[in-house]
Amino acid sequence: MGAYDLLVRRYQERIYATVYHMTSNHEDANDLTQETFIKAFRALRTFKGDSSFYTWIYRIAVNKSINFLKQRKNRVQMSLNDMDVNAENDPDLVALVSEKTPRRDLNLAELQEKLNAALLRLSEHHRMVVTLHDIQGLSHEEIGHIMDCNIGTVRSRLFYARQQMQAYLSDYLK
Amino acid sequence: MNPDPNDFEALLKLMALKRHEQPPPGYFSRLPDTIAARLERGEGQLGFWETFMDHLTFRPAFVYSFSLAALGALTISVIYSVRVQPEESAQMAGNNSYSWQSAAPEQGLASPYDSSQPLHVANWMGSDNVSNPAPAMPSLFDTGAHGHPMPVSFAGSP
Repeated sequence: MGAYDLLVRRYQERIYATVYHMTSNHEDANDLTQETFIKAFRALRTFKGDSSFYTWIYRIAVNKSINFLKQRKNRVQMSLNDMDVNAENDPDLVALVSEKTPRRDLNLAELQEKLNAALLRLSEHHRMVVTLHDIQGLSHEEIGHIMDCNIGTVRSRLFYARQQMQAYLSDYLK
Repeated sequence: MNPDPNDFEALLKLMALKRHEQPPPGYFSRLPDTIAARLERGEGQLGFWETFMDHLTFRPAFVYSFSLAALGALTISVIYSVRVQPEESAQMAGNNSYSWQSAAPEQGLASPYDSSQPLHVANWMGSDNVSNPAPAMPSLFDTGAHGHPMPVSFAGSP
């Protein structure tokens, strides 16, 4: 159990972030993160090491999230986390809010809500690709392993998802 | 002016906002203990079916081999049933010395009906005399004059 505790501490932030970005809800993300680690612990004997533990546990989290969202039929209520203090100093975000965004009065919290709402309009698989690539910075190959699809599929899903997001957020990207 | 649909630079900058979203303070220091407590309570024990489904989920090769085996078994059973059924029916036809046609009476029901002869109808008591039916047999539930059940004997029945 001690060794597994170390594994939890090592991967908890990435797993939580994946599930949180998929659900846009802290409580759901908390439940799904716990269930992911519990299932991984119980299924450790089925892990033969032909993929990294990181990929393996990510796959459990991805499957749990997608199944959860399908059961909910996308009736997800947002419960967004607060942004850290660095957000206000992020030059890209500052530029977006103060210069490029036509609605000058839009603050970061409102922009966060619009962004999450746009993400929730994507299908589960498209949202997952955007989350893993554009938010978490995983490579196409890693995403292919995690989602059990080839790199071409990952690329096409990513392109389509970005186009969709761009269309949903067009008012804020001028 | 709408942004170029293939230029995602602004979108990617906006997506950076998501990386700044953080759970409540202290959440990640409590989470491992919460998970450990749930594991110690025995939560999430996998039954046979869940273990089997885990193999399906995490072992695509297992899915393919299982599907192939199932398909093979189905094909073999179909081929076997197609081969065996005609052989069995031919064998049964050869062994039977009679068929449903041979069971029909030799002077069949198709003999011409003679309307000049009186019609005899056999009743259930075996008498073929319509004008003088046999006396009704006593019933098992007949009662005597005093209302007591009477013993019944079929020895003297016609």
